[in-house]
Amino acid sequence: MRISIDWLREYLDGDVSAQTAVEALERIGLMVEGREEKDGDTILEVETYSNRPDTLGHQGMARELAAALGLRLKERNWPLSELGVRTADLVDVQILDADLCPRYCGLVVKGVKVGPSPAWLQKRIQAMGLNPINNVVDITNYVLFSTSQPIHAFDLDKVAGARVIIRRAKKGEKLICLDGTDLGLTLEMLVIADEAKPIALAGVIGGQFSAVTEATKDIFIESACFNPVSIRLTRKAAGFQTDASYRFERGADIGFAPQAAQMAASLLSQFGGRSTREVVDIFPLPPKKKEIILRQRRVAELLGVAVEEALILKTLADLELAAEPQQPGVWRVKVPSWRVDLDREADLIEEVARYFGYDKIPSVIPPLQVVAPIVDKCRERIARVRPLLFHYGFDEVVNFSFSEPDRERLLATGLIPVEIRNPISARASLLRTSILGGLLETAAWNKNRGQDALQIFEAGNIYFRDEGGCQERLGLGLLSMGLREEPHWTRTELEKSRELDFFHLKGACEALFHELRYEPLSFEKTEHPCYEPGTSLAMVYREEPVGRLGRLASRLMEAFDLKPGVWAADIDLELLFGKQPKPFSYEAVAKYPSIVRDISLLVPRNVAYQDIRKALEKIPLPILEETRLISRYEGESIPKDKVSLTFRFSYRHPQRTLLTEEVDRTEQQVLAQLKRAFGAQLREGGKIDNRTGKN
Amino acid sequence: MSHFESRIDELRRTFDGALAGVKDAQALEDLRNEFLSRKRGHLTLLFDELKSLPAEEKPSAGKLVNELKGYVQGKLDGFDKGALAAPASKKLKAQIKETSDAAGRLSVERPLEDLTLPGEKIAWGSPHPLMLFQEEIENVFLAMGFSIAEGPEIETDYYNFEALNFPPHHPARDSWDTLYLEDDLLLRTHTSPMQIRVMEKTKPPIRIIIPGKVYRREAIDPTHLPMFCQVEGLLVDEGVTLAHLKGTLEYFIRSLFGEKIETRFRPSFFPFTEPSAEFDIGCTICHGSDKACPVCEGTGWKELLGSGMVDPQVLKNVNIDPEKYSGWAFGLGIERTAMLRYQITDMRTFYENDLRFTRQFRLK
Repeated sequence: MRISIDWLREYLDGDVSAQTAVEALERIGLMVEGREEKDGDTILEVETYSNRPDTLGHQGMARELAAALGLRLKERNWPLSELGVRTADLVDVQILDADLCPRYCGLVVKGVKVGPSPAWLQKRIQAMGLNPINNVVDITNYVLFSTSQPIHAFDLDKVAGARVIIRRAKKGEKLICLDGTDLGLTLEMLVIADEAKPIALAGVIGGQFSAVTEATKDIFIESACFNPVSIRLTRKAAGFQTDASYRFERGADIGFAPQAAQMAASLLSQFGGRSTREVVDIFPLPPKKKEIILRQRRVAELLGVAVEEALILKTLADLELAAEPQQPGVWRVKVPSWRVDLDREADLIEEVARYFGYDKIPSVIPPLQVVAPIVDKCRERIARVRPLLFHYGFDEVVNFSFSEPDRERLLATGLIPVEIRNPISARASLLRTSILGGLLETAAWNKNRGQDALQIFEAGNIYFRDEGGCQERLGLGLLSMGLREEPHWTRTELEKSRELDFFHLKGACEALFHELRYEPLSFEKTEHPCYEPGTSLAMVYREEPVGRLGRLASRLMEAFDLKPGVWAADIDLELLFGKQPKPFSYEAVAKYPSIVRDISLLVPRNVAYQDIRKALEKIPLPILEETRLISRYEGESIPKDKVSLTFRFSYRHPQRTLLTEEVDRTEQQVLAQLKRAFGAQLREGGKIDNRTGKN
Repeated sequence: MSHFESRIDELRRTFDGALAGVKDAQALEDLRNEFLSRKRGHLTLLFDELKSLPAEEKPSAGKLVNELKGYVQGKLDGFDKGALAAPASKKLKAQIKETSDAAGRLSVERPLEDLTLPGEKIAWGSPHPLMLFQEEIENVFLAMGFSIAEGPEIETDYYNFEALNFPPHHPARDSWDTLYLEDDLLLRTHTSPMQIRVMEKTKPPIRIIIPGKVYRREAIDPTHLPMFCQVEGLLVDEGVTLAHLKGTLEYFIRSLFGEKIETRFRPSFFPFTEPSAEFDIGCTICHGSDKACPVCEGTGWKELLGSGMVDPQVLKNVNIDPEKYSGWAFGLGIERTAMLRYQITDMRTFYENDLRFTRQFRLK
């Protein structure tokens, strides 16, 4: 709201400098966001609140300032030059929809000479950032910016039948608005009509036909109160926001309507206008007078500081809130009609706090108290996953949740995306159904800035629609590409040329599941349009796929302008975290030494490592502590249809030192089982005892 | 020439170059190790690598590696040792030998000749700065006995607005410009709906922090985004006052911005708090001295967070007796806070995920 210091002086009894006004306003929460010197006046841009329509005029702002500075408000008189006739004799006002118009006041002013405004009025209008139009229009604006009560002037001769009817629009009715808009009216819209047609969109904008022109002689001044919700819906449907609708949708001062009409008529009398006697005042729905009980004890309980009775009463009086004592420290407070924001005791306590001064509220740390913590398993688990991924070299990224149809088609998640009904742009018209889109975008952004190698992850929601409606689920996406590490002198040439690959990413996934004790985890071959055929695996926990990993499809590489060889994984964390992990248990550290043996086996190529692993886990071998694949070899020295796998077995007995024969026996069992199941053969010289290094 | 062949070629050239530069026995031995060490030598690794080549390439590649090995061995053996400078001290020499540990495993120690060579580097990933800030904020409140809860981003009108005392069609909603999914379904415009969800399920005392993503129908510019991160705080108990709110937030702001930061606590309006308050901090750029400061626009102050005493109607909406209990709540934008603290001028930077940006904050 633009506030002119000069204009405030019309209301304030006592001189106030701009600086004093700014400081006082800010103390009570009316923040000055801009300041401009203009024609010897200072114009402030003051931030107002949607619950305080009374501050949308200089009178209301002056009331706040007077209370803050201990000044009085001037009494302003609006004398009329009256005609002999009563308003009601010249105009017939009728409210048909009282729910949308609880009060309607009007006056007729005859014989106005329409013309340019005098300098003082032009200055006021210009201070509001508007151009002066003519004395009548400028006066309506002057009243609005003075009192925050919007008023409207009709050319009475254009009001057919001199009838003013406040009603809902009828089907098919139209209105040419003041700004030239040809507006089709709907049944919910409230209009001001004459006996034939709508002449204004109530509380929003006037009609062109009934507007005041230079030829106008007699004027009908409207000063009304309209239903805020109706005004808001109407102005939204019509696509307008006017100074009038802005105030009406926040709630006009229903008690002030007649005075505003009189103020306008009085000003018009300076231009030869003579007004009718008795304001027409149709007031079908007088609101209940608001009374609130205020307890001094409660002020202290809410603010944390005992405010003196004298200050409470002074604040109330300054704000024209009449306080009637009920018992010691308890008052019944009558709320004036312009304070639409005051309904409850807490509202009054805020007023006391504002004028007491927020800066004088003490700073107190709430006393320590034991409060039962709210446990969030999901957060706890994420908190373990992130450091693990950092350790693996993955950088964390955060992308927008938005997506677009093209991207969704590309990622082909098979999920129905959630549409945003009023998107800000077509590029953000959907919510993402996959984390991978954002990761690809991040990879492309960094690649285009010289970062060819990266590992990134994002944990966040994906969104989709199913029978149950709109859903959101926590997901995790990982992406890696390029060289595994930056070249460094300590690395061999081979190490320097190592690229990030499938098994690096798989290792990170395995570690993640292990860290959270979601074990055993198994991998199954799978196909998905995001991944190159034959390069992806599903991660399966307790028979349910919870994610997949693989090499991203070449069409994605093209779409994001990336080089082939980008690896990615996506994991449904919500599904996973819904499952029970393996319970944690502690095992005493073994006291006796282990025996470690490496065994190289020739295994048919078509046997999957995971199957061998599972077969080993099935044999009951109490002393076999750990199995690890330490080498895989294929080459000239072995048949083409075979690969050589070297396992390192660690054997240990919890209660005593193992005997070589026991290990031999167990090893035989292992070999026999693997031979039976897979036709695995021991390679020549393929047994090494790690302690002795002997074959 | 295949990739493999060119590598062999390059290694041969590297070897020749290195051999030409050998000035003492130490260097000669180093070179031998570099190429022939049983564990890390180039040739050993090349032999390993042969295994992964396609079958049809293996014979020719194997031949090349064998040739190179013969060449290297021959050159090293035939090197005129007499021409070398005096050997390094015995002690140093002992250190560069291949040593074997108790299990018989071989290892090569790197020469300790030039100790000024850079140390090994291990690449760690970095957390996203927004997550770092979120954690930092959470930690301040965890120490004060707060729990952390997160809530749904897809919300109903009831939780996002109505239960928070925004009547339908009230202009107060204009400040929370909303992205709608359905008539009654929207992307939460603030983390405050979780206040309601928590209070519905939990009886006071309640001390909770709610971090999360929120959405507004805003065009993207350096200070506005359609999605950003907020942290909400809520404390409900008997005898909670505005003074407690002020004390907590001053403590919180000082822990984020340092003891010297100036703060201003001032009246404001939010439908779900009464009385309402905003916290400003002194401009971290000009400290109020620059009338044309682009950050504070010459006011010397920057709005940091909105807060207030939980509105009695909000308490009633969740069946908490406002006569018995009172509470306070606050909400702040994480990006904005981080921007003020580190003088980041463009909010979009957080979502570009340029690793040159995100990686810096690990060090903060």
